[in-house]
Amino acid sequence: MSAPETKRDARARRTSPLLLLAIAAGAALLASGASSCGARPPELVAPTAAPAIAPRASIAQDSAPKEEPRLVPAEAWLRTYLQLFGGLAPLDAQARLRGADGAQIFDDWATYASAIGLPDHRFDLPRGTQTNATMLATFERLGEALCARAVEHDLQGPKGGTPPGPPPLEARVIFAFEAPSPGTKLERASFEPRFDVLHRTFLGYPASLAPTDRTGRFLSLYQDVVARHAAKDAPKSRFTPEQAGWSAVCEGLIRHPEFQLY
Amino acid sequence: MPRPRSPRRPFRGLAALPLALAPFALASHAAAGTFVGAPPSPAANVAAATPAPARTLEEYRRFRALSIDLVGRMPTRAEIQELERAGFDLDRWIDARLGERGVVDRLLRVYMDALRLEVSPAFTVTPQATTLRRVQLKGPGGAALFVYYRLNQRRAREATDGEFCLTKGESGLQVPAADRVPTGEPIEVTQKVLDANTVEVKPWWLYGDYRAGDPVLRYGDAWKTASARYQPLPALLNGPDGKPASAVRVCREEAQSGATGRLLLTGRKRAPGPPPFDRLRPLPLDDGYAVQHKAEPIACTSQAAHTLSSECGCGVGLERCLPSDANTADGRAFALPDSAPLGLDRPLNAGPQTLSAWRRFWWTQEAVRFLEDVLANDRDFRDVVTARRTFVNGPLAQFYQAPTSSTPPQTRRPFGLVDEGEPLFDPARLPKDLLVNDLDRWDRVEDRGPRAAGVLTMPVFLTKYASRRARGAAVYQAFLCKSFLAAGVELTPSDEPDLTKRAGCSTCHATLEPLAAYFARVPETDWSFLPPASFPVDSPLCKKNAQGKAAGFCAPFYDPAFSDDAHGTLRGAYAARAHVDEGPAGAGAELAASPDFATCAVERVSSAFLGRALTSDDAALATSLRETFVASGYRMRALVRALVKSPRYLDASPWSSTLLRSERGATAGGGAR
Repeated sequence: MSAPETKRDARARRTSPLLLLAIAAGAALLASGASSCGARPPELVAPTAAPAIAPRASIAQDSAPKEEPRLVPAEAWLRTYLQLFGGLAPLDAQARLRGADGAQIFDDWATYASAIGLPDHRFDLPRGTQTNATMLATFERLGEALCARAVEHDLQGPKGGTPPGPPPLEARVIFAFEAPSPGTKLERASFEPRFDVLHRTFLGYPASLAPTDRTGRFLSLYQDVVARHAAKDAPKSRFTPEQAGWSAVCEGLIRHPEFQLY
Repeated sequence: MPRPRSPRRPFRGLAALPLALAPFALASHAAAGTFVGAPPSPAANVAAATPAPARTLEEYRRFRALSIDLVGRMPTRAEIQELERAGFDLDRWIDARLGERGVVDRLLRVYMDALRLEVSPAFTVTPQATTLRRVQLKGPGGAALFVYYRLNQRRAREATDGEFCLTKGESGLQVPAADRVPTGEPIEVTQKVLDANTVEVKPWWLYGDYRAGDPVLRYGDAWKTASARYQPLPALLNGPDGKPASAVRVCREEAQSGATGRLLLTGRKRAPGPPPFDRLRPLPLDDGYAVQHKAEPIACTSQAAHTLSSECGCGVGLERCLPSDANTADGRAFALPDSAPLGLDRPLNAGPQTLSAWRRFWWTQEAVRFLEDVLANDRDFRDVVTARRTFVNGPLAQFYQAPTSSTPPQTRRPFGLVDEGEPLFDPARLPKDLLVNDLDRWDRVEDRGPRAAGVLTMPVFLTKYASRRARGAAVYQAFLCKSFLAAGVELTPSDEPDLTKRAGCSTCHATLEPLAAYFARVPETDWSFLPPASFPVDSPLCKKNAQGKAAGFCAPFYDPAFSDDAHGTLRGAYAARAHVDEGPAGAGAELAASPDFATCAVERVSSAFLGRALTSDDAALATSLRETFVASGYRMRALVRALVKSPRYLDASPWSSTLLRSERGATAGGGAR
């Protein structure tokens, strides 16, 4: 059913032809104008000298290469890890890393091989050239294992060793310094030379050259861990608070981006 | 802004340590009672007051990068102290490292990553002629007994000809040809039957001196010099009762050690009815080759010898054969590492492996030894694709002394060959005194034969890249740094068999097919060579008949798409007939002569050391390195020396830009960095 036509509708229907005529006339006029514009020669804008920009500040140009850091090749990483562990062959190191803890601290090299970026050409698995979450997690686990065992060896001394206690400095692999006496609060001056040994061991240069106040930040880490382990409600640990502190520092360095990259 | 350099100061407190610390000779120091091995350097472990830095941060980092790339690991504290010593000369240090193992290992990795020369476990290598299967019997007195045999071994005794050497009536067992356990109820084998059909042998896997008249050096006992890597599984060392075996019992024919044998002719005709003697298979008939060549002896190293003669065995101490621990072609025999990225001396694991794995493993080691020789002795790098020499140890000598092929020898009989034809590695060139169980002795073989060409004719390459085209594409990519990328053209239906012409295919195949043609005489998934005399490029033997069909035996070798009524065309030959007879050595020569060969070597090594692909910004460096490389006679040492001394490498440390900024940014966020 259609609605009845109103007067207004009827008026609109009557005027629409006139409106269309007006639009057509306007369009013709515009078209003729456009064609006459196209016929004109183009206007030339003369170049003008740009005004000098006044210097507001001066900084040195950074001409350092803007390249991504390289991932240490898996073989070099592995060789370094084993060298940090005292130069053992992988299977000997694996036995020591597992110790009496089974797979709680360390599984086996075969489990970690592809995760740390080693290729497996039998299956056409290429070399890992970039980090990924699994790789970082593996580096972390391997780092923790090394640091834990190094604390046991260097700061506690091997079980049944003679004489009992930590080995002499020259026999220590990672913590090649005298640890402070239990309960001693370590300040920066006494932390610094010890941390420098570790920094050189893992990152290859003196801590004082680090781009940040790395010594101060690792001192904070050490002190925090020692404090947590010394707290009355701290869970039982096989490490003294100081040993736990050094283990944390070791872990912080071995999982540092500067250790994995170059 | 670069940091101001600290004035160098004399090295304090510690004696200067030699930097040639033999990084790869770090022996296992797992002394009882100690947790780890020897520390890196006792002298460097003393923590005194923090010394002032002797070098700039950039110098330390450069040294660390150089150590990673040239030594193969990060520097030790002792080595850092050496860097800090007054008068330390980095150039001399680099030059000294170039002659060491670390650089060889680094470069080896570059090319092993490019070629991936390890064959998939899916590829089995179990030639009948060199594989001993094992059956457990009930021996005299009822004790269990192992007897080794070869599948399809011809025997003079009709009842067991081509099968296991005891009948069902004698052992109670039927031994299937397939990889299955024998069927039936074992009965006690009498001593008389046992002695008549089997013999005791002191085999190579048990005795270090197996070639002696009466071997005495048993593994795990008097044989004290066995390689640490030689680890036969207990299943091979012990009898069924678990006690150490002093010898193994083998079917009499397999135990023979003659160099040649007479062809066996029986005059049998195909007989109707079930197989006699409770056999699983009918009696074997005379082979056509044997009939035609009945007056000729056959070499017992031939792949077909055991199927043509009852006088050919596995040789002295069974040295031509590998033992399986079951009635299967690919049983387990030895423990091997799955992964040894730091070298065979330092595997990441080791476990029981199949016979195929044993063969594949040593194939890979051959390529590794060959590449190491080129790199360690700074030879012309083009040798990698052209040299005829190689290196073999005991297992490789065993593999090469009995030429085999992955295709049955019967397929080549119609072409007049008794077996694989012309081997790529001439067994006559092998050292005669190399024992099969000598894993550590690697002998240089100066000339494998006229068909040899670097890695291109090694089994590991030919099976890793099993097809002719795969081989062509592999060398194109590995040694010319080029890839085949399809052009953006429309693929239209076509019956054009010539891929160098077919629209949409020709953009790649116009280059690939001629390269693949160099490998036309090495059949797919195989490592043998089809001699031109038996397999001419155009063979009238394989011409099409009136119905457009060629003889069935032609199909594996001749391509019907390119055959006509006058001749058949060898598969893979159509695009470049001249390349076919040149063989892989022709491919090697073409690669070595290409100007892209040196450019590619520079690109591969540079991108590995710089950790990124080369870009147009590196054009000047690449050109300079290429000139150095070519001028040196394609020596890698010159290339690496020029690369690691270039500003582009030495200044490649990114730590002053992106990472440094992120470190600074991290300061606010806390955390120990």
